Amino acid sequence: MENINFDTALERLEDIVEQLESGQLALEASLALFEEGVKLSLYCQKELKKTDGRVQRLFKKLNGELELIELDV
Amino acid sequence: MQDYITVGMLNSYITRLLDHDARLQDFWLKGEISGFRLYQQSGHIYFTLKDEEASVSCVMFKSKGQHLTFKPEDGMEVLLRGYVSVFARQGKYQVYVEEMQPYGTGGLFLYLEKLKARLAAEGYFALEKKKKIPRIVNRVGVVTSQDGAALQDILRVIKQRHPGVEVILAHSSVQGNEAPRELAQGVQILNEYGDVDVIIVGRGGGSLEDLMAFNSEELVYAIYHSCIPIISGVGHEVDFTFSDLTADLRAATPTQAAQLAVPDFSLLQKDLTSLSKRMVRFMQRTLSNREERLDRSMMTKVWREPGILLQRQQDILAETGNRLKRAMEGKIQDKTHHLALAAAGIDNLSPLKVMTRGYAILTKDERVIKDVSAIEIGDVLQADLANGRLQVVIKGKEKMKNGKYQF
Repeated sequence: MENINFDTALERLEDIVEQLESGQLALEASLALFEEGVKLSLYCQKELKKTDGRVQRLFKKLNGELELIELDV
Repeated sequence: MQDYITVGMLNSYITRLLDHDARLQDFWLKGEISGFRLYQQSGHIYFTLKDEEASVSCVMFKSKGQHLTFKPEDGMEVLLRGYVSVFARQGKYQVYVEEMQPYGTGGLFLYLEKLKARLAAEGYFALEKKKKIPRIVNRVGVVTSQDGAALQDILRVIKQRHPGVEVILAHSSVQGNEAPRELAQGVQILNEYGDVDVIIVGRGGGSLEDLMAFNSEELVYAIYHSCIPIISGVGHEVDFTFSDLTADLRAATPTQAAQLAVPDFSLLQKDLTSLSKRMVRFMQRTLSNREERLDRSMMTKVWREPGILLQRQQDILAETGNRLKRAMEGKIQDKTHHLALAAAGIDNLSPLKVMTRGYAILTKDERVIKDVSAIEIGDVLQADLANGRLQVVIKGKEKMKNGKYQF
């Protein structure tokens, strides 16, 4: 599950569900895919709830450093 | 000593003369730009305006120049409005430009067409360079004015669709002289910051001139070189700017840009739930199906009474044994019969058996007589019969020739 992002996780999950539903797989293969699918689903759920909706403004200071300040909008 | 005036007095006199001529205080002038210079420090613009017959120095101060909607360059035909005055230090008169626009049938359009053709030829609008917009985003970078309506639209839509998404604003003016540089810099510092998934560049509607910063080369370069996917949302549906063409995705308006950047959270949530449900349902169905099959096979007699399986094998074994035995017995009988027949045949061929039927064997000196020529009349021979031996004397002989006896 390393090097994964939401998009690839969701695509893989869709792929897994289609493969499962095709009904062409042996039980062992199905179970392995199912296990992977559950992990992906949990990962996606987590990604969806990750952020907190702040609004910030990004500045570049004279010394070249970047600074973020909260914006009240 | 002659009376004289100073150079300064001369120049201020001339200045007054010119300043009092109303016709020189506000007029439109057409010509071709040459020797264009923009002084970075002061922001003032200097150039010479010329036509076939004449030329005149022009200056456009920063306060006026920052409202320019295009980038003047040498060779460009322009129409400008200004007034004439004297630059006393050099003793020359010049045109002080108030406003300026490209000249010709839609001069601005011509300028834009030319720029567009060049940018296109240089590959800035190439479709194969477009980056994919990610399906979900956690952080959205926005380059627009902090005070504009566009920002409010964008924030409102983002809150509606996914309240969790963070917004990082890189403030920039969106029209005027500074706008191209500030917009480009906004894109650049968001790239430098790096932690945004997508960038929206945009502003609300306005005149073609108002939107010109979004046609600027600076912004086009910045968008083209951005490592983060960019959605451009400028003006209204009908407005197409070069930033739209360069961006990875063009939205008709800032509002639509926000819709394209941020997926509807509840829809996504629903998608995800439905996928999980389908997966679990499939697995349950599969497992219960296997269970059922297993149950069914465990129900059969074989599993409940495994002895049956053995009994059947024993039966088969016994039956096979019997069949083998029967087959062998048949074969033996057959052979015995054949043997008896053969023995009977051998018996019939025995010389003793032949003699019982009246035949005799003649011998002379222990040798069996088969040829009459070997026997002389008066020879004494033995005749063996079935039940004894006779001594016989030959009284005469005949030889068989061609089926007849001969003497």
